[in-house]
Amino acid sequence: MRRLRVPVRNVCAGLCAVFALGGLGPALAQTPKPGGSLNIMLREDLPQGFAIHESSTYSTSFPSLPCFSNLVFFDQSKPTESAETIVGELAEKWSWQDNYRSLVFFLRKDVRWHDGKPFTSKDVKFTFDLLREAPDAPAKLRINPRKDWYANVEGVEAAEPYTVVFRMKRPQPSLLMMLASGYTPIYAAHIPPAQYRTSCIGTGPFKLKEWRKGEFVEYVKNPDYFVKGRPYLDGLKYVVIVERGTRTAALQAGQLDAACPGETSRTTMEQLKKAVPQMVFHTVAQDVTDNIIMNVKKPPFDNPQVRLAVSYAIDRRGLIQASHQGGAILGAAMLPRPFGVWGMGEKDLLQLPGYGKPDEMKARARKLLAEAGMTRDKPLRVEMATRAIAIYVDMASFVINELKQVGIEATLKQVETAQWHAMATRGEYQIGANLTGLGTDDPDANFYENYACGSPRNYSQYCSEEVMKLFERQSQELDPKKRLAAVIDIQKRLEQDAARPILAQRLDYFAHWPHVKGLTPHNNVYNFSRFQDVWRDK
Amino acid sequence: VKSYIGQRLGIGLVTLFGMSMVIFVLLRLAPGNIVDILFSTGGYVNPSERLAIERELGLDKPMWAQYLDWLGQLAVGNLGKSYRYDLPASEIIRPLVPVTLELATLSLVVAVLLGVPTGVISAVRQDTRLDYALRVVSLAGLSMPSFWLGMVIILGLVAWFGWIPPVTYVHPTENFPLHVVQFMLPALAVGYRSSALIMRITRSSLLEVLREDYVRTAWAKGQTERIVIWRHALKNAILPVVTVIGIEFAFLIGGLVVTETVFNLPGLARFLVQAILWRDYPIVQNLVMIIAVVVILSNLAVDMLYGVLDPRVRYGS
Repeated sequence: MRRLRVPVRNVCAGLCAVFALGGLGPALAQTPKPGGSLNIMLREDLPQGFAIHESSTYSTSFPSLPCFSNLVFFDQSKPTESAETIVGELAEKWSWQDNYRSLVFFLRKDVRWHDGKPFTSKDVKFTFDLLREAPDAPAKLRINPRKDWYANVEGVEAAEPYTVVFRMKRPQPSLLMMLASGYTPIYAAHIPPAQYRTSCIGTGPFKLKEWRKGEFVEYVKNPDYFVKGRPYLDGLKYVVIVERGTRTAALQAGQLDAACPGETSRTTMEQLKKAVPQMVFHTVAQDVTDNIIMNVKKPPFDNPQVRLAVSYAIDRRGLIQASHQGGAILGAAMLPRPFGVWGMGEKDLLQLPGYGKPDEMKARARKLLAEAGMTRDKPLRVEMATRAIAIYVDMASFVINELKQVGIEATLKQVETAQWHAMATRGEYQIGANLTGLGTDDPDANFYENYACGSPRNYSQYCSEEVMKLFERQSQELDPKKRLAAVIDIQKRLEQDAARPILAQRLDYFAHWPHVKGLTPHNNVYNFSRFQDVWRDK
Repeated sequence: VKSYIGQRLGIGLVTLFGMSMVIFVLLRLAPGNIVDILFSTGGYVNPSERLAIERELGLDKPMWAQYLDWLGQLAVGNLGKSYRYDLPASEIIRPLVPVTLELATLSLVVAVLLGVPTGVISAVRQDTRLDYALRVVSLAGLSMPSFWLGMVIILGLVAWFGWIPPVTYVHPTENFPLHVVQFMLPALAVGYRSSALIMRITRSSLLEVLREDYVRTAWAKGQTERIVIWRHALKNAILPVVTVIGIEFAFLIGGLVVTETVFNLPGLARFLVQAILWRDYPIVQNLVMIIAVVVILSNLAVDMLYGVLDPRVRYGS
């Protein structure tokens, strides 16, 4: 009898496919049904309308993403984002050339703006000239928070209607990651950028129907969307509910179909699970850290030993339990696995200041303070600034208690939101409890924004020429393994320098009703919610 | 009467003028402005961009010039442009007014319907078990903040019935029964608190009147209780109650912040708080002026009502 020979590789591929389907849940196993609409939670009205490029909050990006498209975007079905999960949107394909100094995009030819005008490479050039504030840019953004992302872009060429070339000063593989962020939609060249503050002309799967200020944002399906057969839904409605209790009640009562990112804490998840057992929850990271900023330009935190003592003093696990009820994880500057790809493993983390056993860590802190001339009789007295928002104040209160245990007497100073960033940027503080979100899980986006010399968001004003060189080196490294090793070394260095001690990486337990299908929250609050593949099984 | 109304309106205008100065200065005394907030959403501050935006919004002008600009705009019925939304302030404010007026009116109706009869019963049945019970209920109403009661209503409804009133505004022409449901629950929450105050005022005022000679005479003439209480006593006891109702209405116009927030109703007060947080001066200034106008007019209406209720009160002489 002849034996049937099946190549091992094929068996593996088949099994993988079966496991993959099972792992992704019933949503993929079912045939998507077109029609219906969803009501989605929004915790505040859009701060700057749909002007994503003028804002750095997901209160803008989350409800605006269905209107727009990027050149490339993170695969919406994969929660963990990396260079491997980037897929084309307005770009059909792309190619690195000239030893990673040029990035060429070949654009789709079947795309139209919501007002019917055709999309071309001119729109791409317009958007990136605007963002990098090119000398010949035809317009200017009122506020440009991510200009630094494009510091390495020398020029954007749109020589042909459907080809765009990004020329760079040096190789930078991360550019693609930043282009795939929810913060990088393409604006229409024929629309003044200011107009996006009040309306939205995009190329995305949904067209803006109405924005009733302070109430809701409503979209309808874009019948001319360039992905045929998408979106499945006829419409989306983002309902603004400022009061947290009412938001949760509305979700529980079924008036909302899905939460918004970063909204469902562990406690809320447990309450909802008890009340509505069929509710679906996704445990994802927010890519938002709790961290301590210390002004290195002013005493006493110009002394690295004092900064290090502060870092040693704070029990990270204690904070996770006390302030987050377990809804956060340990991590350094980059998001750890399995949520991210650049983070440090637990073994490495344990070697860092403040991550070990609390008693030992606090003893180290006391010793460092004593060496710096601060004793129980002569304690260090500081003012701990934080934003006057509960999540900030909770963290700051915990930190103050921890510092007290090593002999640092900190008093809490609550700063109103209107003043917080101005105060932090100008360095008008001693020490602060802060939250930092990353637009994309990428070392360049993080390091250059939060730790680089001269960056306006480097609130600590930490500046090390040596570390800057390390940033440059990892940024140009083309071998992913070598780059990962370099990034981990940098994270260690940043924690050892107490540049901005990271206390926790926040988790979210994103909630939605079971009839919402095809919605995969990401480990980053900014990069999902295009909603083109989401459908309603009801 | 006409000259009295004219005089009162004149005083009202002076009050509004004073109010405009107070709100204008107070807003600018609060730390930070819209530009700080805009940069907050960007997470950084750039001094040159900051100056450019301040210039664009006219915030670089001296305070007196900004004030005169605003008064000039008001004089021609122009409410200016919202800093936050980049749209005419009138376009944003217009839909908010009917929501708050409706909620305040309904709350007041609930308060009067609950407060006046219970106050009368409590006074007539003074020191009985019923009186004590009603006083306890009214004290509870005074002690319970309406936003707390509102939250309890929301949480109770969702816990027991898995239902809450609509969280998006339902226009009466769209679905009237649902509109009524949406407004009745917050009106009950707010009205209960106000009713407690009205009940206590009604009770004390009525108790005072019930001791008057003319009431004793009415009893002596063999009038029924209904006639004595409702026709003779209450008519004279109602004046302080009307004053309280007027004050409550004025208070409710600007004081529904938390109720509107808890029930997610798009009214003036909720929007006012958001506008203050955003330092959206044109919206805040004009909303406060609208509230001030309502307060002045409601006070005038109450004063005019005195004349109707008490023939001894005459105006303009």
